[in-house]
Amino acid sequence: MWGRIKYFGRETVISLRRNLLMTIAGVITVAVSLALFGGILLLSRWVDHGTERIKGGVRLEVFMNVEATDGQIADVRSSLNTDPDVKSFRFFDKQDALAEFKRIFRKDPDLVKNITADALPTSYRIVPETAEKTSNIQNRFEVLPGVDDVATPEEALRGLLDATNTARIIFIGLSLILLMSSLFLIVNTIRLATFARRREIEVMKLVGASNWFIRVPFMAEGLIQGLIGAGLAVAVVVALKVGFDRWFNSPNGFFREFYLTTADAVTVSIYVFVLGIVIGLIGAIIGLRRFLRV
Amino acid sequence: MLRFENVEKIYKGDVAALSDVNVDVQKGEFIFLVGPSGSGKSTFLKLLLHEEQPTSGRIIVAGRDITRLSHWKLPQLRRNVGTIFQDFKLLPSKTVYENVAFAMEVIGRPKHVVQSQVPQVLELVGLESKSDRFPNELSGGEQQRVSIARAFVNRPLILLADEPTGNLDPANTVGVMRILDSINKAGTTVCMATHDGRIVDAMRRRVVELDHGRVVRDEVRGLYGEGGEQ
Repeated sequence: MWGRIKYFGRETVISLRRNLLMTIAGVITVAVSLALFGGILLLSRWVDHGTERIKGGVRLEVFMNVEATDGQIADVRSSLNTDPDVKSFRFFDKQDALAEFKRIFRKDPDLVKNITADALPTSYRIVPETAEKTSNIQNRFEVLPGVDDVATPEEALRGLLDATNTARIIFIGLSLILLMSSLFLIVNTIRLATFARRREIEVMKLVGASNWFIRVPFMAEGLIQGLIGAGLAVAVVVALKVGFDRWFNSPNGFFREFYLTTADAVTVSIYVFVLGIVIGLIGAIIGLRRFLRV
Repeated sequence: MLRFENVEKIYKGDVAALSDVNVDVQKGEFIFLVGPSGSGKSTFLKLLLHEEQPTSGRIIVAGRDITRLSHWKLPQLRRNVGTIFQDFKLLPSKTVYENVAFAMEVIGRPKHVVQSQVPQVLELVGLESKSDRFPNELSGGEQQRVSIARAFVNRPLILLADEPTGNLDPANTVGVMRILDSINKAGTTVCMATHDGRIVDAMRRRVVELDHGRVVRDEVRGLYGEGGEQ
């Protein structure tokens, strides 16, 4: 077994070196396309966190008084249920409010430590039937008993969300195109490798080497290109995560509600790695398909 | 060991390369396949290696019908059938030893088996002293002996030889034929396609002659031309 692993390792390295320039081209394209892909995923998550409150078309927040009675809260709910301009709404109880408070003020541990759920208001997040109905709803609910305030989230935030969605589509499209070209480059590298070793392959087939035995070094070659490319892309993702933390950490800035967790970076890195492996292997399989017909 | 039953092979373009071929070769036989170019000798060998499939009929190799052989069982067939060619097909970047060892390594034989078998086989073909040479440092006859060693090192049941002496001078031809003969005496079935009448006449083995894709002669102790024993 060990002998075989050594054999495959040796063959793979020889082949990678023989096509060094093609290999480098393949690795770089994989790295660039995956870095773009990972970067846009990361950016999306960052914006997702920052625009949590207005996601799904939420344009209004009805904040109850902190001391609002259960009856008042229920009255507002039934008004929302019957209001023709309200498309949908979601209730945020004190615990939800506390969780969000902790998230927004995560850089201010003193503030977080001293707060309890009781000190925070409950609220309703409302999606209007159309954007134009926003002020109608605002006027109607401001005056209900127990309502403290009806807030409309900043338009700038909404614009950012729209811009991100557009950017997401463009960048994902772009990275898909790049991923395709990196796939073709790997296919081409593997074809060149099989061509360079066509005599060996002919002899292997002649003496009855199994198909997988012939294939493994080439699969490994594609896999390694995918993996190195993915590794470089993950480095970019990690750098971006660190960068986002550093550039947007002002507690009073516009982006104070935007953040990335380590879990976000890890998840995106896993996606990037898996995609790198898949591209490398698929590239190798396509590259091998034609010649392996015996 | 080898049986063609009513085998017909028609290539695209309606050229009948083989028609109604019936040949039965017993274990341990040595047969010459003779006939002019285009008579179907190459097709005969390609069918045995499953490089081509017959249009109709059955081909039995080592007790197994290879006509309907699935793709993944092909390597097993190839391990039972050793092959040598006119152009040797040696790997120029590997030494004599490595060329022979390669055939064992790629079918996953353990290292100690390779190390014990390769020198034995090189001795059989008389090249034990040249195991570290590269193919381009050898004569044609020596290269063909390396390719015989490679074909034989996995102990196939059948050895196919396609014009193995086609590129060799008479002295080297004799050397190669001696080795094929001794391999055959050790029990391996040998099937050799050739143009070389002198070899066939000297060996007096079974001769199957093809002409325009048909078996026109099958003699037990044949000559290259007419006149052998029926």
